[in-house]
Amino acid sequence: MSFLVVDSLTMTYGPLRALNDVSLTVKEGEFISLLGPSGSGKTTLLMSLAGFNKPTSGRILLDGQDIIAREPEDRDFGFVFQGYALFPHLSVSGNIAFPLKVRKWDAVRIRARVEEMLALVGLKSLADRKPRQLSGGQQQRVALARALSFGPRVLLLDEPLSALDRMLREQMQTELRRLHRETGVTFLYVTHDQQEALTMSDRIAVFEKGKIVEEGSPTRLFKSPTTRFVAEFLGENNFVKGSRANGVWQGFGTSFSLPEQRDSGEDAGSATLWLRPGDIGFGTGRDGDISFTAKVEDFVFGGTHNRLALRLRSGETFVASISADLVAEDALGKDLTFHARPEAVGVLR
Amino acid sequence: MSARTRNRLLMAVVWLFLLLLFLPVLVVIPVSVTDKSYLSLPADGISFEHYGSLTDPAKGWVPSFRNSALAAIATAIMATGIAAAFAVGAWIRSGWWPSAVRLLMLSPLIVPPIIYAVGMVRVLSKVSMLDTFWGVLVVHVVLSLPMAFLAIAASLANLDNRMVTAARSLGARPITIFGRVILPNIAPGLAAGAFLAFITSWDEITVTLFITARHFVTLPRRIYTSITDSIDPALAAIAAVLLIATMAVLIAQTLLKGRGARAGSAK
Repeated sequence: MSFLVVDSLTMTYGPLRALNDVSLTVKEGEFISLLGPSGSGKTTLLMSLAGFNKPTSGRILLDGQDIIAREPEDRDFGFVFQGYALFPHLSVSGNIAFPLKVRKWDAVRIRARVEEMLALVGLKSLADRKPRQLSGGQQQRVALARALSFGPRVLLLDEPLSALDRMLREQMQTELRRLHRETGVTFLYVTHDQQEALTMSDRIAVFEKGKIVEEGSPTRLFKSPTTRFVAEFLGENNFVKGSRANGVWQGFGTSFSLPEQRDSGEDAGSATLWLRPGDIGFGTGRDGDISFTAKVEDFVFGGTHNRLALRLRSGETFVASISADLVAEDALGKDLTFHARPEAVGVLR
Repeated sequence: MSARTRNRLLMAVVWLFLLLLFLPVLVVIPVSVTDKSYLSLPADGISFEHYGSLTDPAKGWVPSFRNSALAAIATAIMATGIAAAFAVGAWIRSGWWPSAVRLLMLSPLIVPPIIYAVGMVRVLSKVSMLDTFWGVLVVHVVLSLPMAFLAIAASLANLDNRMVTAARSLGARPITIFGRVILPNIAPGLAAGAFLAFITSWDEITVTLFITARHFVTLPRRIYTSITDSIDPALAAIAAVLLIATMAVLIAQTLLKGRGARAGSAK
């Protein structure tokens, strides 16, 4: 029996379908990211799981039991909010103890658990501080400890890192991975930041317009997306037109063949090929590489890798990220040769 | 003119204005100890007989004082309760209807009391509540609601209402959420709201004049009658008592606050 199942959930606000027949199966202990642009339905799904939304139709099964009618306070799901929503009148310990007091644990047990949680998130020395005396990152830790203290089955996180600066965000990503590993709790993590989703999750569900367009491991989604939306949304990407006749592909102003796992297997009059900026090399490359000529229209210095805006003879433009040792600013305006390995090229129909 | 002279001149003007504000208030104190039987400054000596006459049952000061205290306390409790219920509800659920109701609740600040009085006389006479405690209570609660509501809403304005959602996700039910999460955060607002409601009721006269006669006489009404009917210096005595009581409360509060602030900063 599956741990947590979202079964064709639909939620409408008037004419708007915030969730459109969404289904998702979650294994116990997984770290799943719900990724998508704002308004794509990911937060609506999270709110439905927490019980703050009542979906129009569909079921949510926990251990095979439909929990849709259960009030949020009876679901035992932890929730971490965007602005943390800590209780300003309570200390760090008081905040963490809150769900335990509500559950009428005895004082000794509460004290032990609060100590344990403080150690887990590294806030022992700040136990008596009030939330307003803490930094953003510290408040975030309190919110996590509070949501985990009562041993929830699932932890729901709604863009918890969006208010932090970049350095702190990366630190907290590592921290979240560690908490997930050490507690073994199932994490459902809403984010619009594809980098966050790629680095942290076991699995990503990509949302667009109230639907899950694709789900899978970060590697799978990044390396072989099957939809244009995912190919475009996860990581940087270039798209050019291509076609296939008698097993040979035309594209990038040249012809080539693709390895079996990349090839669509059928001839096609028109298809979309994608190639990530980082997979483009300078020069003709090795035997079997696809090599093509393009004009350098723009050059942006980027430290270790420079970014070039290229134009093919067909008029199509794309971006390449080339090692700074190989190309310098004088490349601007020249027609140069570039290459890519055939495995790096993807096909979308 | 040197900066020093200019500064002195400015200070003089400021003090002049402060005295202008405060002296007429203080004048009740000498008048209250006059040795005459009419409102006047003491001429041949001072006398406390007018303070004594305040307790004279024939004059009716004590019942009116008691009535006013009763009405003000009941008003403070009810207005604070209603205003808190509405303010917290509107804070949790936003939308068009809280704004609409808010406007209605604040309307006593906009509608002239005299207009309101005319309406209330008709309403209260229909339900036979003219000149009763309950009639006065209803009117005073309505008039105090804006004050109580504004004080409580101000204390909620800086709170994140997702606290309520967070508390629910942590397993707390509505009563626990109110008692353990909302109440501790708005307690100062509730106290301020209750205080303002008390004051509003305590010195309400316009509407009270219309809806009371002989049975339920409040202190402001009694004072008003005293001014129009006689020139009894007891009037100055009651004013002096109220003035001194108010000052005592204000001074005590300032001292307590100062101590609280010091204790807070020392921590």
